[in-house]
Amino acid sequence: MEEQVKQVFDQAQARANETYMKQRRITIDPITRLEGHGKIDIFLDQKGDVERAYFQVPELRGFEIFSVGRPAEDMPQITSRICGVCPTAHHMAGTKALDAMYGVEPTSAAKKLRELVYNIFMLEDHALHVYILGGPDFIVGPDAPAASRNVVGVIQKVGVEVGKRVISTRRRLRELIAYLGGKVIHPVLGLPGGVAKGIAPADLPKFKEVAKDGLEFALFTMSVFKDIVLKNESYVKLITSDNYTHQTHYMGLVDANNRINFYDGKIRVVDPNGKEIAKFMPADYLDYIAEHVEPWTYVKFPYLKKIGWKGFTGGVESGVFSVAPLARLNASDGMTTPEAQKLYDEYFKTFGGKPVHHTLANHYARVVEMVYAAERINELLADPEITSTDIRTIPTKKPTKGVGVVEAPRGTLYHHYEADERGMITKANLIVATQNNSARMAMSVEKAAKGLIHGGNVSEGLLNMIEMAFRAYDPCHACATHSLPGQMPMIVRIRNMNGEVVHEICR
Amino acid sequence: MSHRAKKTLCLALGNDILGDDGVSFAVARIIENQFDDVDVIMSSEAGLALLELIEGYENALLLDAIKTGTVPAGTILAFSPEDFQKVIAPSPHYAGLPEVLALAERLEIPMPHDLRILAMEVKDPYVIQEGLTEDVEKNLPAFVESTCRILTGWVTGASACHTPQTEAHHA
Repeated sequence: MEEQVKQVFDQAQARANETYMKQRRITIDPITRLEGHGKIDIFLDQKGDVERAYFQVPELRGFEIFSVGRPAEDMPQITSRICGVCPTAHHMAGTKALDAMYGVEPTSAAKKLRELVYNIFMLEDHALHVYILGGPDFIVGPDAPAASRNVVGVIQKVGVEVGKRVISTRRRLRELIAYLGGKVIHPVLGLPGGVAKGIAPADLPKFKEVAKDGLEFALFTMSVFKDIVLKNESYVKLITSDNYTHQTHYMGLVDANNRINFYDGKIRVVDPNGKEIAKFMPADYLDYIAEHVEPWTYVKFPYLKKIGWKGFTGGVESGVFSVAPLARLNASDGMTTPEAQKLYDEYFKTFGGKPVHHTLANHYARVVEMVYAAERINELLADPEITSTDIRTIPTKKPTKGVGVVEAPRGTLYHHYEADERGMITKANLIVATQNNSARMAMSVEKAAKGLIHGGNVSEGLLNMIEMAFRAYDPCHACATHSLPGQMPMIVRIRNMNGEVVHEICR
Repeated sequence: MSHRAKKTLCLALGNDILGDDGVSFAVARIIENQFDDVDVIMSSEAGLALLELIEGYENALLLDAIKTGTVPAGTILAFSPEDFQKVIAPSPHYAGLPEVLALAERLEIPMPHDLRILAMEVKDPYVIQEGLTEDVEKNLPAFVESTCRILTGWVTGASACHTPQTEAHHA
């Protein structure tokens, strides 16, 4: 190439690159999607106000490829290994999908044993969140210095004895899960048509003793929540503030009377006014849920198919929906147990009626659910059938296709498997609970950013305010990895209208 | 007073359906029968479950995967609890080691006097797959050796550690 031509070519190339780089900065560099930490990019407009905010998290990939060609009956064990925190939810959804695949109805005792284990898991997992994960926001206080907003701060506030009780209760509950399911982390309880192990009558008193203490503990937790949070006017004001409010649809599993059930039932969806707009069997989920893809993240955003994707916005016209405790209470007509029903009524009265749209009310709803789980455990243990040895219906059909759904602590969890005539998996699809909340979570992050940043002034409290928004959902992103340091680092970058980083907050 | 029969723990944390995140399990499988006086435990649990696993031992070595992005995959990094001591707001999903240690201290739960952490830099722990990437697998013997050196130092009269190449490569 002649030198003069080369110069013109290089200049044109440089201009093209410059234009491209500007565009990349205004969107999101796709390479950064692979980083192993949470990242929020906030883009300011000419006035220095927030134009858009993007919340990015690491996402596990490759599940379908990994599953194809494996024996169907291995799926509850494989999927339980996806998550180091909620393996029981995956195990149970996988087991129910196998029931459907083999066309087998579990025995009555087997269903009760599964529901028992599941409620024990819900109780201990919710307790963990209330005291350890979400606790710093409310028990310690949203205005407390960042240095004390942690588990040590929680213990200082509630006392060492309560801290010991939390640890001890959780351990005893986990021992019950281990009795029936082997390892808590990789349970082997569920089989198509039933369960692998029942409760020996001689061991029932031990179960009942732990269950009784578990209920006392759940009720005690509600009293702690009422004393520390609900009696504090500024906390309630924060919960009900506009920064943490979205009017979306809500989804949850309900029984025949539209009462909450974590283990079984139909999926019910209500609109932002609380009106039922759908109620469907797990096998029909693809008729009701579709997934939207955005160019800036691997996370897919589920939405209500019949309404359609209208962007990250609320209202009856938007297909965005929410799951988890707040959504479950909104999507149901009540609880089946007495104390939980009282608390359910109090909960809605506190917020002036139904549905409740305040994201931070998830914490309150979670405690109501703790009481329900504890009461349900006691009910199931009082059922004479709980020690029955008739715990499995042996499957006789070849597996074909099955969908299993449970309410995980973090919301509705879907497992969908298909198999060939040899029983080998040909297709697998999961919609995990956190994914169902991803659109609303992205809205929460953006709303918090818009509420805090004005005229280019960035509050140092931004990170905590945003964290509070998504911590209420108890999200589970890339939760199966245990890579040190055991925490998800978070980086918030504020960019000006040219895409240049003008402020960075990192922890 | 400890309720543990053995004083020393080697706790491998990971997930062997997440590729390189299973590197600690690969080490644990190689060494698990080589120390009579060490509990070698593999766990995929996180957060507060660590408290239940670690409590009561005098010495504990945690093996894990790490992704700093600052060193090549396969690099072995050694940490002490002090490196993670800065107690910060909990992660969105689970409490990490700093919270576990702080909580144990606050609740007077006996924790190891000597707690060390060895971690291997990994390439991609976010894809569900079996097996280790090349750089991680190549450095597995060195990870085993580093592990054994620490455990041998804690356990008087422990047998020497060896790394069967076949096991290492099929881990």
